This record gives sequence, C-alpha cells and structure tokens, in this order.
Amino acid sequence: MGGGGRVSAAFRLLFGSLMTRGRLLVLGALGLIPVLLGLALRASELDTLEAAHQAIVQAYGLGLLVPVVSLVFASAAFGDAVDDRTLVYLWLKPVARWKLVAAAMGASLIVALPLSVVPIALGVSLSGAGSALVRGAVFGTVISVVAYCALFLGLGLRVRRSLMWGLAYVLIWEGAVARTARGAAQLSVNVYARSLVSRVADVELPRNASGMAAAVIVPLVFTLVALGVTVWWLSKADVA
Amino acid sequence: MSTASTIDVVSVTKWFGDVVALSDVSFSVSAGVTALLGPNGAGKSTMLRMLCGLTAPSRGTVRVLGVAPRGDVSLYRRIGLVPQQESLFEGMTAYDFVTVSGELAGAADPGPKAAKWLETVELDPGDRRPISTYSKGMRQRVKVAAALVHDPELVVLDEPLEGLDPRQRLRMIELFRRLGSEGRTVIVSSHVLDEVEKFGSRVLVIVQGKLAAEGDFHAIRELMEDRPHRVRVRCDDARSLAAGLVETGAALGVRVDGEDVMVDTNQVGALRRTLASVARERGTRLYEVVPLDEDLESVFRYLVERRR
Repeated sequence: MGGGGRVSAAFRLLFGSLMTRGRLLVLGALGLIPVLLGLALRASELDTLEAAHQAIVQAYGLGLLVPVVSLVFASAAFGDAVDDRTLVYLWLKPVARWKLVAAAMGASLIVALPLSVVPIALGVSLSGAGSALVRGAVFGTVISVVAYCALFLGLGLRVRRSLMWGLAYVLIWEGAVARTARGAAQLSVNVYARSLVSRVADVELPRNASGMAAAVIVPLVFTLVALGVTVWWLSKADVA
Repeated sequence: MSTASTIDVVSVTKWFGDVVALSDVSFSVSAGVTALLGPNGAGKSTMLRMLCGLTAPSRGTVRVLGVAPRGDVSLYRRIGLVPQQESLFEGMTAYDFVTVSGELAGAADPGPKAAKWLETVELDPGDRRPISTYSKGMRQRVKVAAALVHDPELVVLDEPLEGLDPRQRLRMIELFRRLGSEGRTVIVSSHVLDEVEKFGSRVLVIVQGKLAAEGDFHAIRELMEDRPHRVRVRCDDARSLAAGLVETGAALGVRVDGEDVMVDTNQVGALRRTLASVARERGTRLYEVVPLDEDLESVFRYLVERRR
C-alpha cells in the first residue's frame, strides 16, 4: 500500500472519531443561529447589508461560530487520541509524521468547513444583503477555518484541556486584546478574516484592519507555521 | 552482545521528572518468545514503550532490528504492538479497525489479512457491532489481531492475557509460542508467574526499574524457590517451640512474637518436618503454619536484594 493509501487510512480513522453525535448536534444547532438572524434581518427594516455584515459575519460568524467549530474539531483530532491513549495506533505506523498531520488537518477541515461556511453564507444570503457580502463571508470564513484548524490541531496534541485554552485565546485574545491593541491584532486570525470580508464586500473596515494581501497571506503563513510545529511536536511526542 | 539479537538494550535509564522508571538496564533478545516479568509499576510498560520508540531513553541506547527505534518510522512496518490500554477506536467494527491498522502499516491485502487474524483470535470478522460494545477480553483479541495484521518481525505485547478467560489464555499462549517458533521475536510482559511459566520461554525479571534476573524460566523458578522464606507458627507454647527449633539448627533465625514464632529458613519442606517432631518432643500443640512471603512481590523483592 502506497503513502496515499496510508494517509487515506489515517484520515478515515481520525474522521470517524471526530464525528460524534454530540458534537454534530451542538455545533449544527449553533449553525442555525445565522440562518435565523438572516431571516429576521430580511423581515426587519434595518439596512440589511450593514446589519448582516455586523451581526451575522463579524460578531457571530467570525467572532464565535468559526473559531468554536474549528476549535472543537481540530483540537479533538489528536487531542481525543492523546486523552484516550489511542494515538499509539496512528503513531506506531510507518507513515511520515507530516502525512499524519495532513490527515488530521483534512479530517478537521472536512467537518469544520461545511459547519461554518454554509450557515454563514446561507444567513447572509437569506438576509438579502447581496452577493458581494456572501462572497466576502465565504472567503473570510474559509481562510479563518483553515488557520484556526491548523492552530488548534497542535494545541490538541500538546496541551491538556485544549478546549479551555482555545476558548481563552478566542474570547480574551481575539475578542478583547486584538480588537484594541494594534500590535496584538497582528497575531489575530479574526482581524485578518474580518478585514478580508470587508475588503471583498466593500463594506466598513474593522478596527486595526489589514490590507487585502496581508489578510490572505498572513493567515496562510500562520497555517504553515502551525502545521510545521505540529509535525515537529508529533515527531517528538512521548506516546502513552 | 549477540550478533543474532534483534533487540539490544544497553545501560538504559529512564526518568520522568524525579521518578526513575528504569535504572541502568541492559539485555539482548533474539528470535523466540521472551517474557518480561515483574510486579505492577516495575517499569515493564516503559521498557516496552522504549523498544517501540514511543518514548526515548534518558540515558543509554536501544536498538531494535539493527536501528534506533525512535525517529526511523520505516522500522514501524516491522513492529506490532499490543498496548496495555483498553481503549480503541470505539465507533469502528473490529474488522474495520484491524483493516485500517493493516493499511497504515503498509500490509498488502489488509482486508483478507484482517479477517484471517480476527478468526485466529476467535473473533467474527463479519461482526457489525462497534468495538464500544466489546468486553475487555474481546478488545484484547482485537488488539492482538491489529498488531499481527501486517506480519511484523517483532511483536511486543503488554499484559495481553488480562481480561481473557482461561481457555482464551491457553489459545493466546499457543499463538505466541507459534509466532516465536516461526522465527519472530515476541516479547510478552506479565506480572503473573504462572502465566510466564506457560510461555516456556526466556525470562527477564524487572523489579523497581532494575533488571533483577534473566535467563531460562526454570532456572529463575529454582532461584525463587531457594530463597530464604519466613514462616509464622502459631502454637500454645511459643517460647518452648522456639528453643527447640534453635537446638535443631533447622532454621536460619527464630523469633518469638507474642503467641507466634517467626522462623526464617531456606528449606520450607524440611522445616515443616522438623516443626512436627520438635512440637511432639516438647508436647506443644501446633495451630497454624503460614509462609508469610509466598506472594510474587516478595519473590521480586528477594531477587532485587540478591542483585545488590
């Protein structure tokens, strides 16, 4: 069996363990909120473009839904296997460590992307805010899911209670510190994603906004660095 | 160090923080079955993890099939491990799990091989129930099938008989012996002396992180039986019986402890005969004769003290 087959086998193993009914139900329910918000905005007399941008995309979508969905799945991809000591069944296999990390990243993305992108895009679309905001929301959501999954994959492998630490990063660092301090904003996935949405949809820029190129390139750099560190951690891991 | 050895462990020490799990352990292992015997917490699992590269030694070297097991992932194609923990990928069927294990290990035709090994360990490859519904014994057998599905040269099994019923234990022991006779290196850990006896193998005894003894099982068994024993004798006149035993010279040491006589001897059988005659001569009634250190822990302690 070739390397591709082994990556596929690792992917199936990890994907199967991520897809628990509890996670899908809770995060699926969170995904209903942007849809309901979109319907409510359509029925309201508010400026739907601005309201959908602020409420569905910036505040709820990129501020909460995307990081939480990414955190739950990505931190569990290796984190569950570390906690229940099944990592050994992946680790002790003749598969390059980067391929195991790629499989875990793929498993996380394949669950987190639809659970994030579809509700946000659907909510914006239902609100009647227009196709430019839908396009911006899709770009911003995809790039932030990719970056968050890469960051939280390593967190789950390396840190106990990774959900708690991930939430602390999302709520304290991104939710408060990075929104006020310009230096801190350079290390916030959320700021780049919000900047990307605003520039694509041509709506009001968030505070500490970055340029278009930085909004795409920096999260991808975060992704590559985070994946590289995770590969290194996995190679050096003490496996129980 | 033997050139035919598949495993060479040289002066290995492993510590976790302030805790020394293994201390200056050296041994070599060749093809066939080798049992790693020791009480719980002795360092057996740590040793097995190091053989598989799952953790690095703090000091010393480990070589498995000619290479250092940590860092060279291609070696893992040649190793099959049954870890001690029960947890598996709970939502999968046994067949799917063993097949995926084979795929990951690079086995050709993993599906048919998974079915074959599941049948070998008396599990039904067609069982569609998830592993979460399996008993401990069934999980053990799934783990064994998953460890063997890619035909490894080195098979490492950490307490693989736990949770199995007596018949399954015998079947599993037969399987390990067969794997050893096929030229594979099989390392099985256990804390149960009688289990190890059935492997009919070479034994490494690890106690308190040290290699306490190694060699043929029967030689180690003799060593264990020849050690000094302590026996408690309860009778109606402890002082008189103790004096009589001292006069016969049948005991290494005699001490009166309330109504009991504590006797140290290295010949338990001879002591029992002497006790009966001394009690008869002195008109003392014997109530109870209890060996105090027949448990495996005391055997292990003796082996450690003997090495010092």
